[in-house]
Amino acid sequence: MNFKHSLVIYRKELMEVLRDKRTIFTTFILPIILYPFIIIGFNSIMIRQTRTLEDRGATVAVKDSVNNAISRQYIRDLMNIKNYTIIPYNKTTPRLYEDKDIQSIVTIRDSIRSDGTQSFKVYIQYDKSKDQSRMVFNKLYEQLSKTEKDLQKEILQSTGISPDLLNLRDVRERDTSSPQKKMGMYLGIFLPYFIIMMLFVGASIVSSDLVAGEKERKTLETLLVSSVGRLEIVCGKYLTIITLAMLNMIVNLISISFSLKFILANQNTDLAGVSLPVNAMLILLIAMIPLATLFAAILLSISTFSRNIKEARSYEQPLLIIAMLLGMVSFFPAIEISNFLALIPVVNIALLFKAVLINEYALSHILITIFSTLFLDLIAILVTIKLFKTESVLFRTEEESSGLKALKIKPKTFFKPYNGILYFSIALIVLYYLGSYWQARDLFSGLIETEIIIIALPVLLTLKLLRLKPKEVLRLKIPKWKSFLFIPFIAISAQIIASIISQLINIIFPFPEKYIDALSHLYNMNEPSWKVFLAIALLPGICEELLFRGFLIRFFEKYSLRWAVVISAILFAAFHLDPFRFVPVLLLGLLLGYLAVRSGSIYSSMFSHLINNGMAFALVTFSDAGWVKFIAKDGENINYWLIAPALIIFCVSLYAFHKATAKGEEICVE
Amino acid sequence: MIKVENLSKVFTKKDGTKFYAVDKINFNANDGEIVCLLGVNGAGKTTTMRILSTVFQPTEGTAEIQGWDIKKHPDKVRENIGFLSGDTGLYNRLSCREFITYFGRLYSIEDSTIEKRIKEMADLLDMNDFLDKKIEFLSSGMRQKVSIVRSIIHNPPVMIFDEPTAGLDILTARNIVSFIRDCRQSGKCVLFSTHIMREAERLADRIVLIHRGQILADSTLEDLRNISSQKDLDDIFVYYINQFTDEQELRANEF
Repeated sequence: MNFKHSLVIYRKELMEVLRDKRTIFTTFILPIILYPFIIIGFNSIMIRQTRTLEDRGATVAVKDSVNNAISRQYIRDLMNIKNYTIIPYNKTTPRLYEDKDIQSIVTIRDSIRSDGTQSFKVYIQYDKSKDQSRMVFNKLYEQLSKTEKDLQKEILQSTGISPDLLNLRDVRERDTSSPQKKMGMYLGIFLPYFIIMMLFVGASIVSSDLVAGEKERKTLETLLVSSVGRLEIVCGKYLTIITLAMLNMIVNLISISFSLKFILANQNTDLAGVSLPVNAMLILLIAMIPLATLFAAILLSISTFSRNIKEARSYEQPLLIIAMLLGMVSFFPAIEISNFLALIPVVNIALLFKAVLINEYALSHILITIFSTLFLDLIAILVTIKLFKTESVLFRTEEESSGLKALKIKPKTFFKPYNGILYFSIALIVLYYLGSYWQARDLFSGLIETEIIIIALPVLLTLKLLRLKPKEVLRLKIPKWKSFLFIPFIAISAQIIASIISQLINIIFPFPEKYIDALSHLYNMNEPSWKVFLAIALLPGICEELLFRGFLIRFFEKYSLRWAVVISAILFAAFHLDPFRFVPVLLLGLLLGYLAVRSGSIYSSMFSHLINNGMAFALVTFSDAGWVKFIAKDGENINYWLIAPALIIFCVSLYAFHKATAKGEEICVE
Repeated sequence: MIKVENLSKVFTKKDGTKFYAVDKINFNANDGEIVCLLGVNGAGKTTTMRILSTVFQPTEGTAEIQGWDIKKHPDKVRENIGFLSGDTGLYNRLSCREFITYFGRLYSIEDSTIEKRIKEMADLLDMNDFLDKKIEFLSSGMRQKVSIVRSIIHNPPVMIFDEPTAGLDILTARNIVSFIRDCRQSGKCVLFSTHIMREAERLADRIVLIHRGQILADSTLEDLRNISSQKDLDDIFVYYINQFTDEQELRANEF
């Protein structure tokens, strides 16, 4: 790759973009006008509006059903509120209230306390959904409290007690947060959301034009036949989008901060003149770059995929909504960044911003945020490059079918070792974070969720998305019934052999106690035994087979069926995230792979897997039964002498199985 | 020099059926020679040219441009060809000079050399008046001149013209025709496609007749006339097409 070419493209694209009046307007002029207008304008309008509401006063109807000196005192004081008209309650009052000529109705009623002394009940009727009515309520409430205080004072004074007696408490607040931190808190609510939006909008202003636009204007072919490579084109255009997104965001930020400063300077709060520390700004800027690159990469792939600008824009809309929804996380109180949330794109940046603004963040959060975003970024770029090399995408014509159909992938091109490892890595990461999170919350439901949502469902969805036939890819075929007969013998003897190997490993490398503890938890869940069976035998039998012997094995059949079995078994063992059981699981994986491939049916390996796991479950659950005692003395350790008959049964039944299944299975799905 | 060997391109239709846009074709084009790919719309002309300019990957077979294999050295191939088509778009917000310089730089040519070549070509094609104007303000004739300069800014030995006069007015089309002749004059190897018989008649040293992805004839106009005993290229063309359809029917009846 010649980076010089990318720079030539980058410079030309920038020059072209900056000559477009529309882009100049949306990127530079609009934010400069918009924020002073929004922030300063809104602020002054709000202040003025509040004042006019206060000045406007209100009409309040009063119904005094007590009518003694005290209640009259209350009403007299209400009359003293500036601009307020107090009228007596009569028949027409409810209608006047309906017509909003009266903003509130105050009713004073008599009430007797439990000790027999008199008190008052005051009802204030108002419409909480109306700003003015709410303000009237506050005013009335304030005045009523004041009158009450005055009356209390008078009563106390007349009995010769000092009124100070009433002031038992005197609460003063002392705020330990610095003005800077407070400002950070306010900014942290809306600024992350704004920045995410700006980055997206800034990127989308140019992205649709860069490739879809070239297709529309028929300049793309000229570019493709020049001596520049496709990777260089992608790179140049990608840099252009990032630059514009960052430029747009920086202009917006400057405009926002000036407007805020102007407002704060005019207010008499301790926030006046506060600015954010430089290192916070720097961290924000660095964290923003991966997000800008992620948006740029995704938008570029959309632009490459689309036939024209209009189509590109229509694909951008849903994406913008997703980004908005994810960005809104900053609006919610009490959601703070964690290692897990730092893995979710957009959400992580929004929360990281919030944390940085109040100066409470960990380096791990920053690193996870940056690297997980960069990881997705890389995927999006690879997709773009792939699209750029796909003729049917680059030269899509109007008549051709639109949408995802162009992405239809041949099984041959999809089932490559590289893709298999990629899929496996993603599944492993999800298992590690999400699976262990679910299982820590509740072991039983966590196991079931893991099997179904992380292991089985993505396989079926991927096949659906790529329009591959699950029946063929996953080998969902009924095997010969004869071969099925031998599987229980194979599975049980294999389980015994694997367990004994595991025990031998335990002797050489003793398992830590903590580990044995954790393992016994697995079988001693506080659930009925059929549920435990479901979670540790039935579902793994089905779901894990779908993933490993059905799906992942297909990626490696390019080498040979034998290698595919070996590699899928290694992945299977690695997936258990358990170094102590790696060897026995690997051996079982080899057996299961062989069963599935040899019989051409995944049902064979599912059946065996079910028996393997089911046996481990049975040994623990029915540890008191006689037949269990025969196999394992204490329900844990298998009797060593069993290895001899187990080996014999294994070899014989495996041989029988081998004979019963015909040779010659197709290597790769075509 | 262009050498095409057993070149095929298969496209998959919406319903999953495959069809050969180009079906095992062979032909050559030598330096200082104008070869015309003649065929109706959808015959496979554009697909062939896109494969030769490395925009498409061939399904089978290969081709060489100046000795460089299009599959193994696509970058070398692109350096050696100039590509021009009738509906090429231009970047409206750039000036002519900027536009040409942009492509010159993409071919890794020194700025001073680019400038020199622009000056030469501008004098030759009478472009000095609008060289610094933005492309959006140019007429279609001016635009086509800009495209011409763009296609030969790196002085390639092989020129590929895909329907170069399609959609152009007569005067502009004449410019192109004389440019193609100039290319031959300077010893370049020229391959151009058209469905207009008169253009092929006037320009081509050799005519390659292509129909439904297959080559029906590859010869000089003179030879074509002799074989088909027709005078007019129109008639020659129809003659070959009829022969091709007859053959296909015969073959279909055999089974």
